[in-house]
Amino acid sequence: MECVVQGIIESQNNSHYMRHNNGVRLQHVEALQILLQGLCGVPKERVRVHELCLKSGPNLGVVPSEVRLLCDLAQPTPSWTVRHVGGAMRGAGAEQISVLVRTIVESKVGHNVLRFFYSLGYKLDHELLKEGFVFRFQRGAQITVTVTSANKMPKLYATDEAVPVTPGIQLVEITAPAAAENYSEVVAAVSSFCEYLAPLLHLSKPGVSMGIVPTAAAAAASLMSNSGAKTL
Amino acid sequence: MESTGGAVPNQGQQPQPPAAGDAAVQPPPKAERLNAVLQQQLNLESVKTRAIGLYKAISRILEDFDAYARSNTTPKWQDILGQFSMVNMELFNIVEDIKKVSKAFVVCPKNVNAENAAILPVMLSSKLLPEIEAEDNAKREQLLYGLTNLPVHMQIEKLKGRIDMIETACEAAEKVIADARKAYGLGSRQGPTLVPTLDKVQAAKIQEQENLLRAAVNFGEGLRIHTDQRHLPSSLPSHLVDVLTFGDGTQNFGDNSGVYTKNTPSFSSNTVSTQGAVMQTPGTQLMGRPAPSPSGVTGTASFDNASTPPLPYANSPRSSTNMMNTPSPQQQTQQQQQRQKMMQIPQQHQQQLHAQQQLRQSPSPGVLGQSTMSQLNDIQGQTQQKFQQVPGQHQMQYSQPLSQQQFQNRQLQSPHMQHNIAQNQINQGNQLRSHLSQFSGAMNSALFNAAQSSPNSQMLTNMSATMQSQSLLPRMQFYNMAGGHPQRNHPSQIINDQMFGMNASNPANMVAMQQQQHGPQGGFGTIPTSNQNLQPGMVNFPQQRQQNQQ
Repeated sequence: MECVVQGIIESQNNSHYMRHNNGVRLQHVEALQILLQGLCGVPKERVRVHELCLKSGPNLGVVPSEVRLLCDLAQPTPSWTVRHVGGAMRGAGAEQISVLVRTIVESKVGHNVLRFFYSLGYKLDHELLKEGFVFRFQRGAQITVTVTSANKMPKLYATDEAVPVTPGIQLVEITAPAAAENYSEVVAAVSSFCEYLAPLLHLSKPGVSMGIVPTAAAAAASLMSNSGAKTL
Repeated sequence: MESTGGAVPNQGQQPQPPAAGDAAVQPPPKAERLNAVLQQQLNLESVKTRAIGLYKAISRILEDFDAYARSNTTPKWQDILGQFSMVNMELFNIVEDIKKVSKAFVVCPKNVNAENAAILPVMLSSKLLPEIEAEDNAKREQLLYGLTNLPVHMQIEKLKGRIDMIETACEAAEKVIADARKAYGLGSRQGPTLVPTLDKVQAAKIQEQENLLRAAVNFGEGLRIHTDQRHLPSSLPSHLVDVLTFGDGTQNFGDNSGVYTKNTPSFSSNTVSTQGAVMQTPGTQLMGRPAPSPSGVTGTASFDNASTPPLPYANSPRSSTNMMNTPSPQQQTQQQQQRQKMMQIPQQHQQQLHAQQQLRQSPSPGVLGQSTMSQLNDIQGQTQQKFQQVPGQHQMQYSQPLSQQQFQNRQLQSPHMQHNIAQNQINQGNQLRSHLSQFSGAMNSALFNAAQSSPNSQMLTNMSATMQSQSLLPRMQFYNMAGGHPQRNHPSQIINDQMFGMNASNPANMVAMQQQQHGPQGGFGTIPTSNQNLQPGMVNFPQQRQQNQQ
């Protein structure tokens, strides 16, 4: 299981949203990076993941299932991971908590996994290239904060020609693995961490969209200026 | 002389600017109120104290001078100057303070004596002090500039007009200041209360973008390429190059439709061409390579994850003793994973696969898993059975022999094709052919019976038991179904749990499992044991059989 929340943050390409700042280009993403660096205490890691989402056809089972193959391109040798996202927790209790808790099955696999799944009869549903950075740290739970821009590929498998789906907005995702016994603590840890990021971005369950935070510009400015002052 | 600064009830005693135009003058106040006002301006008690202190200081200095004069010593002029300046300062302050309120006070001597006789008339005079008088004159001049020649009432009115103008100007200024305070968030000492809000257009745009992004990342909306436009690019990115390309060219992985027909003609040895491609997976051209030779089959297969022990295995220590060994974790997990996925192999594929009565080699654990799963799913009317070999060793797959069997090495759809196919496969195949028919009928019935039972570990055990009950050639390496073997129990249980216990996330699996019960024939329940049966040694089979038949 994992707990997950998502949010959006404006990135530099959003020039026309910056007009009210008199042309000062506020790098919200950079500000977020500075904030995370201060909060987490670990260096950021680059992320470049080619995500292939495969769906099984109707003849493979009663219900089509979906599996995601993630190829990590940031390392010199690409490594593959297979990931199956299960259903989310439901019920009155789930409504009250602000993070989404869902079952997840993930495993490292060999690089022939794509061929294997095609052999099984899975078909490529869509693919995505995510580029950005990630912070992994321990704060009540093993939390992973990923800030990426989602890119789509105009042609099949053409990761070099990827263009962002939304040029001005990047996705922030916070996940933490959990088990059935301890998921409430993990939820609490993730929620409290999200509060630290409140000045910059709203975080919510993946299906719920919240918009951007109005104080984001001011918060980003203050983050950037503080850091500028301290670099000697 | 004693000066009494008392509250003067009537300020009219003092000269005042013309009352006509001077609305700013206080109206004649009552005694108490003036006293209070004066009290704020000048604390009389304190003035008295200071005056007394000053008096004492001066008298001290005079005494010091007397002492110097008497003792005829030169005084220290610096000290004296210092004291003198202090006294001077204090006097100046007192006089200044009194000057501020001098208008409210009048000297009222109590008695006349020689001391104050000379100064008394000056004090009692109502004439202003020269400075005050000059000040008053200047102010009056300023006010009445240009009005002095008019009649008095006109002067009054003009002055009133001026006052009104000043009043309106003051009010306007106050308003501007208040507005500015609000605009800049300074108002009323509460700090910035204004939160910068995005205008609605921007907010709507951002909302729309956010929905796009979330939908794309979570559900893949907007990322799907139409099947017509899906063709492999000329240059694949590096991480996909060796994954997707085959020796015979590329195929469209996104589309299964054309694959079957494509590969059909390449089945040279498939005399039972019931349905064209057998267990076709899209793009797998390995299926189409009918290389009869062992080496030919493994053209592009790369066996990444499992170690490849050298062939032959019949006499290797592994094969002799370790038919029950659990495979390496790599293999095991891989196979487990694959098994989970194998549950969903279409039944069509199974049928096709089994319709091909050909020997196959599937050295990879993936294939192993596939065939086992396919077998499991094969209950529904298949008359073939499959045996699989452990990767890295002799592996042979048997499809249920029909009348015409053609022994052909063929690769399953797995990409893991091993290079080291058994050397004597063909020979074995020929031998096998004759033997396959032995247990064709028996095996079918056994498996069928086994399959009829509930899908649990028992079925697998049963199936394995039935399988092993068949006599096999010494050289044949069979899929050891020893579910009952002690060493195998554990992994088999695991696999069983995975297969049958996956209720939460994989309903398809359960359905597939359930479907299997209806078939007339059971595939091997060798799935759990497939991992372990990589030790083919036919030599051992009898041993195992005995063991498993406990």
